Amino acid sequence: MDKAILLESVSKKYDVGSSSLKVIEDLTFDVNKNEFVCVVGPSGCGKTTLLRIVAGLEPPSSGRVLVFGRPPDPKIQRFGVIFQEDSLLPWRTVLGNVEFGLEIQNYQEAERERVAKTFLELVGLQGFENYYPHQISGGMKKRVAIARALAIDPDLILMDEPFADLDAQTRSLMQRELLKIWSKLNKSVLFITHNVEEAVFLAQRVVVLTKRPSRVKQIIDIDLPYPRARLSPPFISYRERILTAFHEELEGI
Amino acid sequence: MNVVSMRKLYSRLQSLLFASASVIVFFILWELAASYLQSPYFPDPYSVLKAFITIITVGDIDGYTLAWHTLMSLERVLLGFAVGSATGVPIGLLLGIKPTLKNAVTPIIEPIRFIPPIAWIPLSIVLLIGMYRYVFLIWVGVFFPVLLDTIAGVKRTSITLIQMARTFGADNKNIITKIIFPSSLPEIMNGLRVGLGVGWMCIVAAEMIGGEPVGLGRLILKYANLLQIDTVIVGMITIGLVGLAMNYFILFLEKRMFRWRVEIRA
Repeated sequence: MDKAILLESVSKKYDVGSSSLKVIEDLTFDVNKNEFVCVVGPSGCGKTTLLRIVAGLEPPSSGRVLVFGRPPDPKIQRFGVIFQEDSLLPWRTVLGNVEFGLEIQNYQEAERERVAKTFLELVGLQGFENYYPHQISGGMKKRVAIARALAIDPDLILMDEPFADLDAQTRSLMQRELLKIWSKLNKSVLFITHNVEEAVFLAQRVVVLTKRPSRVKQIIDIDLPYPRARLSPPFISYRERILTAFHEELEGI
Repeated sequence: MNVVSMRKLYSRLQSLLFASASVIVFFILWELAASYLQSPYFPDPYSVLKAFITIITVGDIDGYTLAWHTLMSLERVLLGFAVGSATGVPIGLLLGIKPTLKNAVTPIIEPIRFIPPIAWIPLSIVLLIGMYRYVFLIWVGVFFPVLLDTIAGVKRTSITLIQMARTFGADNKNIITKIIFPSSLPEIMNGLRVGLGVGWMCIVAAEMIGGEPVGLGRLILKYANLLQIDTVIVGMITIGLVGLAMNYFILFLEKRMFRWRVEIRA
């Protein structure tokens, strides 16, 4: 079976004037089909760069990136990317936003509307089709972004700290809903976060990155059934294990 | 009727009152100035009103009524405006998307945009004929505001939205038509509004060289030669009012089009 994502000694450096900035160095890990993997690392460690490389938005400086066995290309493969920042089109309604990806993928108009409505229902936004983004809350905007990403039936879901800007209650609600959707749709997910608890709550596997330039510090399987209780002793022990690794990196800065 | 709408109605009435008061004060000052000066070249409001009625009902010395003058000027300006927008928007999009190209042409564009339309008159007389003269002079007024606002709109486009579109597999055409253009549309509309205003203000300059005896600019020039300033003022006031009406029309369109903008909600 093809891996959903395969990263082999991936490095990325940017030229800054005459010197070069190494963001990622010799990064190797993979994501299995239908697996939910979280990447945690200190801020500024190149997590977003990693996601951009996996999404085919920029090539690695060296190493190999394969998504379902081929170099990632959003023109050929289907990626559902959810950004940290608000990425809704403010001039389109909620429905129009969900239809956006389908338009790019050349769905017929009637089909677009049908599919978009199905996914708005999945994220619990039926009845909000004709609202504009400025009329809905931050959590609802995230739901729209998720519906938009899922509507194109992506091969791979990439999430870049999607819930970082939300308040604590909304964030934990969104995490639970995301897991519900994931178990329903069977998708491979790469979820980037700096929130260790979020990673333990969501992921089957957590990849801890070192500080810049990023390498894999540790990969930890979270062997807990869903839904997970945040206050259960095994949850806390996983959290502590990852926090320890994480803090070693923070102190090194 | 509840308290809020009562208050709204009250404040609206109040601003209407102030607005009409200032118009009345203006006419009183005009009247005072005219009776103080007692000059045949400074008509009082009443003689301007009489000239207005004459031009509307009877027409000018050549028999053209005010409506006809206005229509002809509108036709010329709208034609120049159409050419100005059809060039300003696409070129603005192109220069906004390609900063290197913009930097390359900036040393040409920047000085040219400070040349007033009147300065172009001799060249247009030598090089152009008929309708092309009008269109060119008005184009000079329309093009630059449209161009600069379109570039500003493109620059304001969020990088996140462009990246989002790329992750869905959007090509450059999609990104221009579905992201950059709609995102820049508020600035483009603003540029069109300003451009139409400036183009309309170029009408007198354009009709100076147009040759035909009809048009609001022509009306002013004709009666200036006859030293009949009351009718000159009729032309001036009409230009002002039509410009105002066009401005409000586009503002109205903007409000309807950009309901999605947070700034316009209030």
